[in-house]
Amino acid sequence: LVQAVFTLLIITIVCFILTRLSADPLAQYATNPNMSAADRAALRERLGLNQPIPIQYLKWIGLAVQGDMGLSFFSKQPVLGMIGQRLPMTLVLMVTAEIFILTFALLLGIISAVKQYSLLDNVITSFSFIGFSMPIFFIALGLMLIFAVKFKQLGWPFLPTGADIWNPKDVSQLIRHMVLPVTALVIISTANYSRFVRSSILEVLGLDYIRTAHAKGLTKRAVLFKHALRNAALPFVTIVGLDIPAMLGGALITESVFAWPGMGRLFWEYAQRGDFPVVNGVLLITSSAVVIFTIITDLVYTFVDPRIRLS
Amino acid sequence: MIVLAGMLLAACGPAPTTVAPNTAVPPTVEPTQAAKGCDAPMGSAPIPFPSGGKTVTGAWSQEPDSIVPYYSQMSYAIWITQLTLAGLGEWNETGEFVADLATFPPTAANGGVSADGLTVTWHLRPCLYWSDGQPLTSDDVKFTWESVMDPGNAVASRVGYDKIASFDTPDDTTVVLHFSELYPPWQTLFTQGPNNSGGILPRHILNGKTALENDPFIHWPTISSGPWVITDWVPGDHMTLLPNPNFYSGRAKLDQVQIKFVPDPETALAALQTGDIDWYPDFSESDIATVGALEPTVHLMVKPGFDFEHYFFNLGVKGTGAGQSDIEGFCPFKDENVRKAITLGINRQAFVDNLLDGKTTVPSTQWPNSSWTNSSLVPDPYDAEGAKALLDAAGYTPGADGIRHGMCGGVDTKLSFNFETTTKQIRVDIALAVQSDLAKIGIEFKPIHTPAGTFFATYTDGGNMATGKFDMAGYTTGFYPDPMSGVMDSFSCATVPNAANPSGVNNYHLCNPDLDVLLQAVNATADPAARKVALDAAQKYIFDHYYVVMAYARANVYGMVDRFVPAPFGFASNLNWNSEVWDVK
Repeated sequence: LVQAVFTLLIITIVCFILTRLSADPLAQYATNPNMSAADRAALRERLGLNQPIPIQYLKWIGLAVQGDMGLSFFSKQPVLGMIGQRLPMTLVLMVTAEIFILTFALLLGIISAVKQYSLLDNVITSFSFIGFSMPIFFIALGLMLIFAVKFKQLGWPFLPTGADIWNPKDVSQLIRHMVLPVTALVIISTANYSRFVRSSILEVLGLDYIRTAHAKGLTKRAVLFKHALRNAALPFVTIVGLDIPAMLGGALITESVFAWPGMGRLFWEYAQRGDFPVVNGVLLITSSAVVIFTIITDLVYTFVDPRIRLS
Repeated sequence: MIVLAGMLLAACGPAPTTVAPNTAVPPTVEPTQAAKGCDAPMGSAPIPFPSGGKTVTGAWSQEPDSIVPYYSQMSYAIWITQLTLAGLGEWNETGEFVADLATFPPTAANGGVSADGLTVTWHLRPCLYWSDGQPLTSDDVKFTWESVMDPGNAVASRVGYDKIASFDTPDDTTVVLHFSELYPPWQTLFTQGPNNSGGILPRHILNGKTALENDPFIHWPTISSGPWVITDWVPGDHMTLLPNPNFYSGRAKLDQVQIKFVPDPETALAALQTGDIDWYPDFSESDIATVGALEPTVHLMVKPGFDFEHYFFNLGVKGTGAGQSDIEGFCPFKDENVRKAITLGINRQAFVDNLLDGKTTVPSTQWPNSSWTNSSLVPDPYDAEGAKALLDAAGYTPGADGIRHGMCGGVDTKLSFNFETTTKQIRVDIALAVQSDLAKIGIEFKPIHTPAGTFFATYTDGGNMATGKFDMAGYTTGFYPDPMSGVMDSFSCATVPNAANPSGVNNYHLCNPDLDVLLQAVNATADPAARKVALDAAQKYIFDHYYVVMAYARANVYGMVDRFVPAPFGFASNLNWNSEVWDVK
């Protein structure tokens, strides 16, 4: 735990310095004729930017540990509140995508491993390569072009492009809007993960204890699900363990393309303006989640692999 | 599989989105309004969206960070204010200054501007009401000024408002501003423009409050004096506006306006084609051809404006005194012939034609498409041979590598320099074209693209422009709605940034006392005709000395579907003005 806190501290220092140096919050006013030099100087002082960066950091972290991430420089809203507005939308999108990703990745990976070098394996492998070779924005825009624009032009039922996603009186509106971004995320990640599952299983299937299990007369299904899969799952658990906190950060490109009001967009839009209370707030949440879920992942290892003990 | 499931849902058709009607409170009439013979207000809450009502949906690439622009300098804050918080005056589609909450704009001829230019009198329309049914009077205008000047409120800027010495409200509809000194850009105060926003604030809501920058009303006003009231705002997603029942020219024609926040122009393009949105105002000039190709589904509208993209030279003189810079500018740029050669050697019309689809122009002055421009000045045409001759005459001859060099300040200097600008795609494309043009006349032009947050960083944050660590740079700026808005900050000796003056924004690092005098003359009189004469002289001086290379006049690029019928608009008014007459076919 001490190590986790120390890691988190280092992360906040690095993130703070990087965000602070990456953009000047006052840069957007550089050519604004409505602001005088005195206005700019007053704003700099009000935002605390005239203080040395270490002092700015200490003030920020001092409040953050008390649960106060300050106010956004520009919207003047509490950062925690802004994150609270975006986080549910990100979780809805990412958790849904993750469920499909894990399901498809396991399914395709297992089939591909069990049917190694078969036609099915080759087809899955080919599609996997296509999937993870394509950039997410290409897939996202391609899906939008086909299922929104072209379908509309053909007079078929079509999907929405983005924004106006949340209407508490009509949940189906949310579901309709989720289809394309979830599909884009699933295509990219499933392609990657299914390859990972395939190679993990193939590696395990070649081990002595699997041969022993076969020699004992166990069925292929029993060998696969009772013996192989459990061991093959170990590296997969690591990846999923790191995926969960990453979900909190949202999917920047997917959210931007589909105008999804999530954490990724919040981060990017405010990072561009140098609003570092917001940027650091998002980073603190996601990095804390990474540290916490890394610990949780270590705990899960002990359940998946009895050979591993916490001590 | 996911897509198929989605298609099934899509086939069911979207359920109509309506905002919960506000509970209507019986309208109240202030005695003062009733005593004046005013009709009772038409309501005290936004008009609910009726079943089958008329609605339009626009999309903006960003959402406003605050709705009251005194506390924000974001364009989107100005735009949303145009829809919700009226000012005393505004600029129409032809760029003419017209009345909004006032009956007419003050002029010297109608007695609204005193002979000495120090007193400006506005007359409000009679019987104005806020959307909650409360009277809107001159006292609200006075409160607006008081709140801007209140040191307890962290407004973004007090420019101009701090020149008002006193404020009289002899009756409910008369506002008298007494300026402490001549302030010719008074039209930018309490008014809505393309680059300024002065919506009037309600005393009955905000009186007695301090630190208004943190007040929920500033972030999301619950009432309105404009055609629309914001009734729903899902951060990062959309905003819904319903008609203000008490808007002075009657309720809006439409029953609802929705603004979606769509950061990606590609998505906006798709949304226009599917009908998810009716307009998008945030395309860039590089999208002109793409949007134009979508006719007749999507109409392209290009509104050339007062902003301009320009390239400029670092003319800094090293020193610590006023008007001096930390770093000496690139020596050859001190020679006017070199600056002229560079101007002649760039085929500006070619990139306007080829990269901007011919939809804009090469301007000659810093006031393009404006009545303030000196129309006697004509941009220099592309003349590579003339440029070479000028460089030869200046002593810069081609070296073995084809790049010219010559003596400057006693040092053999190569005409090889960096050009800094942002990462915007159109800037990358044009910088490459300029690089190619200048190579033909023996100049090595080396573009460096940095993100805007770094490029525009201030002196204190070590920004290259502010600290003078650049040779040549380029970006967009514009001086409007008043022709002197920002001009002195950009050109005067007093605003050259250095250690003693870190807030200075004269990025040209140009200090020329003669130019200072010419520019000061523009603000020495309130008479528009005299100002024009003075400004013409200043423009000619800048033009003749080749201090900047005017690249092209920027344009606002809109995509719009056929069903949406906005009010006629121009760059100065912008699309969001007169939204009460917006309609659908």
